[in-house]
Amino acid sequence: MPDERSELVQGTLEMLVLRLLAEEPMHGWGMSQRLEQLSGKAFLVTQGSLYPALQRMKRRGWITSTWRTTENNRRGRYYALTAAGRRQLELERASWERASSAVNWILGARWATGET
Amino acid sequence: MSLWSDLSERLRALVFRRREERELDDELRFHTEMDAERRKRSGVDAAEARRQSAIALGGVEQVKEEVRDARGTRGIENILSDISYAIRGLRKNPGFALVAILTIAIGVGGTTAVFSAVDAVLLTPLPYEQPGQLVQLYQYEGDSPYKGYVSPVHFLAYRSQLSSMEGVAGILTYNTVGADIGGADRPERIRLLPVSADYFNVVRAQPVLGRGFLPEEENGARTVVLSHALWERIFHGDPSALGAPFLMSGAPYTVVGVMPAGFTDPLVGNVDAWTPMDLTEGLNPQRAMNHWVSVVARLRAGVTIERAQRELDQLSATLRRELVRGNRAAAVLYPLKEEIVGSASRSLILMLGAAALVLVLVCVNIANLLLVRASERDKEFAVRSALGAGRGRLVRQLLTESIVLAVAGDIAGLLVARAAMSGIVAIGAGSIPRLTTLSLNPRLLAFSIAIATLSAIAFGLAPALRAARTEPGDVLRQQARGASRGGAEGRFRSALVISQVALAFVLLVGAGLLIESFRKIQDLDLGVAPDKVLTFDLELPAARYDSTARGRFYEEFARRVEAIPGVRAAGGISKLPATGNYHQWGTTALTGPLVGAQLGNRGDINQRIVSGDYFRAAGIKVLEGRVFDAGDVMGAPDRVVISQSFAKVFYPGVDPVGQRLSTGLHDSDVIGVVADVAIDPEGDPAYYVYHPHTQWAGDRNWALAQVIATDGPPIAAEAAVRRVLASLDPQLVMYRPTTLAEAIGQGTATRVFTLRILIAFALVALVLSALGLFGVLAYTVRLRARELGIRMALGAGTGTIRRMILRQGLTIAAVGIGFGLVGAAALTRLMASLVFRMNPLDPGVLVVAVVFMGLVAAVAAYLPAYRATAVDPREVLQAE
Repeated sequence: MPDERSELVQGTLEMLVLRLLAEEPMHGWGMSQRLEQLSGKAFLVTQGSLYPALQRMKRRGWITSTWRTTENNRRGRYYALTAAGRRQLELERASWERASSAVNWILGARWATGET
Repeated sequence: MSLWSDLSERLRALVFRRREERELDDELRFHTEMDAERRKRSGVDAAEARRQSAIALGGVEQVKEEVRDARGTRGIENILSDISYAIRGLRKNPGFALVAILTIAIGVGGTTAVFSAVDAVLLTPLPYEQPGQLVQLYQYEGDSPYKGYVSPVHFLAYRSQLSSMEGVAGILTYNTVGADIGGADRPERIRLLPVSADYFNVVRAQPVLGRGFLPEEENGARTVVLSHALWERIFHGDPSALGAPFLMSGAPYTVVGVMPAGFTDPLVGNVDAWTPMDLTEGLNPQRAMNHWVSVVARLRAGVTIERAQRELDQLSATLRRELVRGNRAAAVLYPLKEEIVGSASRSLILMLGAAALVLVLVCVNIANLLLVRASERDKEFAVRSALGAGRGRLVRQLLTESIVLAVAGDIAGLLVARAAMSGIVAIGAGSIPRLTTLSLNPRLLAFSIAIATLSAIAFGLAPALRAARTEPGDVLRQQARGASRGGAEGRFRSALVISQVALAFVLLVGAGLLIESFRKIQDLDLGVAPDKVLTFDLELPAARYDSTARGRFYEEFARRVEAIPGVRAAGGISKLPATGNYHQWGTTALTGPLVGAQLGNRGDINQRIVSGDYFRAAGIKVLEGRVFDAGDVMGAPDRVVISQSFAKVFYPGVDPVGQRLSTGLHDSDVIGVVADVAIDPEGDPAYYVYHPHTQWAGDRNWALAQVIATDGPPIAAEAAVRRVLASLDPQLVMYRPTTLAEAIGQGTATRVFTLRILIAFALVALVLSALGLFGVLAYTVRLRARELGIRMALGAGTGTIRRMILRQGLTIAAVGIGFGLVGAAALTRLMASLVFRMNPLDPGVLVVAVVFMGLVAAVAAYLPAYRATAVDPREVLQAE
């Protein structure tokens, strides 16, 4: 069964995690479910990319983690955004928007070439 | 991103590694379980859901590895695992680890201690402002290079007329001046130092309280400057001590100043109080022959010692014309520091050389040990390399092991350094100046640690690189066939051991020479019998004893002491025998073949004032005539006793008894001749003229050293003597009681110090070289086990095999000894200044050193030789 979903590149995954955590603290599994769901299963979030990314973000001081009881009474590790994480999200959002509008413009525009 | 959160997170990951791992486990399990639960909800049964989840999520271990990478602690974790691997490896081979660590510790500790001592004594500047400007001035007569004291007449002339000097200070070091303080209830003796008024300017140290001395006080005025310690002790640091009366030896003095804490005199060190010098004698040119002032001067800024010397020479010439006719005094300047440490510098340089040799030996030994260890592990590394271990990783592991060894050795070395330093201070404090200022010098410690660590790394790295280079297949095949390793390495290691043996041999010869010198000194006949003799200084305060009373007291005291059971004889003398020159006065023959001739201007005629039965107490034989008795008192004709060789020189061919001579303004009859007494513990000869104290008590207040010969141990008589003293005058102080042997032995203290240090180094070197030899042969035996097995199987006797191994060891030792002989020959000039009346290449010492080294080598070689034959050849061959 070929899998159509594509894995997210590292930087993008981190940005999306920041965005998710801006809403509320979440655990790793919740994040992977939410991302697949929100992307209409376009993105594949594996453990192998998610947890190292969380570890890196923690090191950079963007997120913190605490162990808490989940709604169905298990122990889960919840990640929450720090002030630095919030600032980082804004930075990344801005640079993403700049980059994507540029990419979109290039892809969508018809521009004149020298050979008219 | 914040640097802080990054570091703290990494640190946390490192410190709480186990918790991090557990949490990661929990988190991933949670993830899997949630995933499985979701699948179960969509209708699959529990087992199938778990299976699907596991497939979908992939390898947990891989995820974990990636998270671990993300922690950013991977590098440190690798290092930690290398370290624990290294420690495990060393534990498996504790003998190797112990020897290596001890070797490094000895190298680091021994050299740091010695370097620190040399630094404290020789290299650190004197603790005075601009110490380079300070010089010491000596006087000598005519063409003799003899370093003599300065006459007060000359001192005043130098002080007022030398323009190249900023200041010229006189210090009375000639005789030890003390004072009794504390009264009858707690009598105590303190060290006084009479100095001229400009002393404090010359050393550039002013009293912290009050003032120094005024020029008008240079007449023996009763003012005193206290040391900080004495001020604290007597006046409890009260500033009102200034101007207070202070009773010293019964005379009232006025406290005028207090010196800063820690100030010590450049020439005599610790002093309790300073008093003004009495220089009135310097105004009388008749006294220009009377030398007793020590002079320390400060050159003007920018003036070289050579220029000052030229000016001094001109002044001396002028003074010879203008002062008393016939006075031939000249003067010479030396840098003060050179004068203070000069006598100790040779032995310290020798120590430094020995320490450097030992450090080289240590490095060689480390190299040897690590090479053996590495070649033992060739196979291990080959296997690991074949199994895919990265070469970088192998190199790093060996390197880590070296560093672990070096660090352990360095720490142990620190302890060794501390112990060695307190040992050096304990042995040398009395004989090596400035040694008490010794402290662990961090720069030098860093230096030794760097050397030992670098050598451990360098020699640890060499085999590591080789291990990384070798084709694992080659090694494994070679090992399997039991072939021996290439000859190049064997030769290199033999060369290392040869150098070790050579270095150890040089040290051994040095130690042997010093031991032999010391033995010769101990065997010298100094002309006295110093065993079982108690001695101490006894001064009678002039305030309570006039000259007649002093003359009576010393005789009475000797008689009373002789009445103590177990005391054979008692007397006193102005300077203990064999403890150096003192009161060297020119002496003129009034009768005999040399009538009118004056001898002793070069300082070789020592005058001594004696009381009681001194000659019998000191064990000096009476050869002709008689010694002093109760009839030789004030008012009777002045009488002297002279020493044998002086009698021969001064009255050649005639009977010396009954001749007359003149010295110290007394014309005296010679009434007896006694045996010669050496001037120092090394047996240097001197001429003596002895005078009875009763006839000289008016000359000055002689503080006579008491000499009491006993039947039993001299210190046992101390209490009884003390009781006799207290019964005569309870305020008098028995100052520094000791035995005569010990007082004389002080003169050889520097020699003993050098000797002990060198012996210690020689022993260390011997052990290190024996270890090296043992290591090389043991290794050879292991490599050749198969060959030896075949030989034995073919019928070679145990003896043949043992002889073969022994021969190899002794050949290495012999070559090493050969180089060592060359080294010893190269060092003869240094040793010549340290040995006592012997050839620095003394054949006896060399033979003993060769035999000793050979024996040690034989023992070191015998063990591996024995082991070579202890194995059953069948076992060796079957093991293949």
